Amino acid sequence: MSTVFAFTQRNIVMNKEKMIVLLLICTGTVFLIINTAAAVVKGDCEVCHVLFPGVPQYELPYTLCIECHSNADPDTVKIFGRSKVPVVYNSVKPSRHLAGGNFYYLARGFGERKGHNVAGVSPSDTKFNNNPPGYVRTNDPSTIGYSDTKTLKCSGSNGCHGNRNIEDPVKAIMGTHHAVDQPVDGTTTARSYRYLKNTGTVKGVTGFEEEEWNRNSTPQKHNEYSSSIDQFCESCHGGFHREEKSGPWFRHPTGVTLPKEYEYTEYNTNAPVARASSFEFSKSEIVPGVDSVICLSCHMAHASPYESMLRWDYDAIVTGEEGKDGCLICHTGK
Amino acid sequence: MMKKLSILFATNKNRNRHVSLLTPPPLPPVSTLGGIFFSAVLTAIIACSLFFSATPSEARAKGKCRDCHTMHNSYEGRPMTYGNRTGPFPMLTKGGCVGCHGQNPDGAENIITLGKTRIPQIIHRRDKGDLASGNYSYVADGYSPDYTKGHNVKGISMQEKHPMDQPPGFLAGVVIPEGEGPAYWPAQNQLDCSGTWGCHGNRKEENSYKAVHGAHHTDDSALDGISVGKSYRFLSGITGIEHKDWEYLASPDRHNGYKGDPGHNSLNTISYLCGECHARFHPNANLGGSKEVGHAYNSAWRKHPADIAFSTVHGGYAGSEYQEYVLYSLVAPVAYFDPKGTEKAVDANSIVMCLSCHRAHATRYPDILRWEYNNDPLKMTSSSNGCIVCHTRKKQ
Repeated sequence: MSTVFAFTQRNIVMNKEKMIVLLLICTGTVFLIINTAAAVVKGDCEVCHVLFPGVPQYELPYTLCIECHSNADPDTVKIFGRSKVPVVYNSVKPSRHLAGGNFYYLARGFGERKGHNVAGVSPSDTKFNNNPPGYVRTNDPSTIGYSDTKTLKCSGSNGCHGNRNIEDPVKAIMGTHHAVDQPVDGTTTARSYRYLKNTGTVKGVTGFEEEEWNRNSTPQKHNEYSSSIDQFCESCHGGFHREEKSGPWFRHPTGVTLPKEYEYTEYNTNAPVARASSFEFSKSEIVPGVDSVICLSCHMAHASPYESMLRWDYDAIVTGEEGKDGCLICHTGK
Repeated sequence: MMKKLSILFATNKNRNRHVSLLTPPPLPPVSTLGGIFFSAVLTAIIACSLFFSATPSEARAKGKCRDCHTMHNSYEGRPMTYGNRTGPFPMLTKGGCVGCHGQNPDGAENIITLGKTRIPQIIHRRDKGDLASGNYSYVADGYSPDYTKGHNVKGISMQEKHPMDQPPGFLAGVVIPEGEGPAYWPAQNQLDCSGTWGCHGNRKEENSYKAVHGAHHTDDSALDGISVGKSYRFLSGITGIEHKDWEYLASPDRHNGYKGDPGHNSLNTISYLCGECHARFHPNANLGGSKEVGHAYNSAWRKHPADIAFSTVHGGYAGSEYQEYVLYSLVAPVAYFDPKGTEKAVDANSIVMCLSCHRAHATRYPDILRWEYNNDPLKMTSSSNGCIVCHTRKKQ
């Protein structure tokens, strides 16, 4: 009996130890997850909210988006109060652009085809006249829809981020910088990948948000995307997408798995893919037949040094020779 | 199927293209160092010039992706147009098969260079510039077409009326390199460039674009017929040597090298490709066979044979009229069992083929012939009526 008691006591002690270890692991995991997101603003209110003298303290102008996410020096992550702020627009050549690219390439005279012509960064595209190429109203879940009488904005019904059922770009994203943003399951704007959710009635974009916005990305350390990013792009560029799930393709497909016979197996940060599931961490392996091609496999979201916001110089990609970059990352047989 | 493939491979074992071309001609003896140097330079120049002049065409596309493709059929907010054609087109091409190979039907360019790629034009207006397969200009809708003068291919001509809405001589379920040909030719299926209802590409694939998928990007330096990309002119399973300019300005010693096989033991001859659709016209047992066409050596032909060597003519080659066809003629070319594309001599082993009389796409003459068949025999010359190129004694 005493032996049994002693065994039980030891068991309880061991279980307590295990519980403590488990608790520490869980706490650490939660901390790591929260730390990874880094989108919840921390620090003094005034750092952001009194940038504009004369403007009521909590009525923020649209240009605050750009003011806050810009930088006069080449750094693409800046410290603002106690928050790390991803820089999308450097007024000088960025040291390392982030995953979305950098509006520097659009705004600094390199041509209007280098990026999304967002108000506050660049004038409207003279060819598109505020019409998103391939825009199909029925593909846009926004009740307001995109208006070609207004300019493209960062957010709102004429933008990408925030609630696209709200026209005002600031109101469309109100509260998201202070909201719980984990897990990135698309249930709220804040809990959608990079605040991309379209509207309250559709699921937001999901994925894994790399803590430095891909500033120092490697095949082992990078954003992870799901094909929900394609559906998001389709909101404004629906005409570029078709229902076919097999070739011959009439437009470059997205949301289809990489052909099994191809040899793209090691992640190349210059041609990201979408994962079918599991967005908890970056993976360096590409699995043909499982992982899929996405809009962002070729394009950047904001602006890039290249025409059509491509990740590479399309003019420099040639077939039948020794190159392995650009299109040839996936199209290894070409 | 394995047997078929092994036959294909067997026929290519001895292929050794251009080896003889790389051997420079003998030079006169030289005694001085300068002479030796001059001789070496001259040898190199001659060798190089011979090499380049004999280099076969390379169908593998080179250059910028954008030269041929458009990713979203969009440019600066508008749909792409290519010539007068509006897309989108399959395989992300700017203009589809005809858009690329018939870029300017009214133009004078029979070969268009786009970036690093030279593209043979199947329809154009260049005087005396028709390529080996002819010119669809003679049958193309909008160009005073005469449908007797060419294949009525979708996108170029309307479908012909019955019975010409089906290939003349068609037989169901014949053996093709990929397996078995179609069981019947539905009336609504117009001839296409490629696929089951076309000539090029995988004929087991109904979709014409899927049928040639990847072929333009295949390393085709050796045309062994094991894939579409490695087949002569993307004619699946067919071997041969491709003249680098598609026979534009070809000469008797620089021309397409057509594969023939008088033994009818292989599927890789150019005439077999024709026979896949026009089976009753080919003596191969897989196709019409002797019942339809007749026997070599000892019978009167029921139909003009193809894949038959001059050596097998009734009564023997020696002393026959064919013995007088000795210099390769671009008017009535012949095939070879092991073609090089440089053969100048025609002899007993040279092989009559479908393309001895016809071209593949369209010509200015009825029945896609290479010459005017109705010419007065008394006025025949080898340049005006190709029959007498082979049938040398029938001109008087």
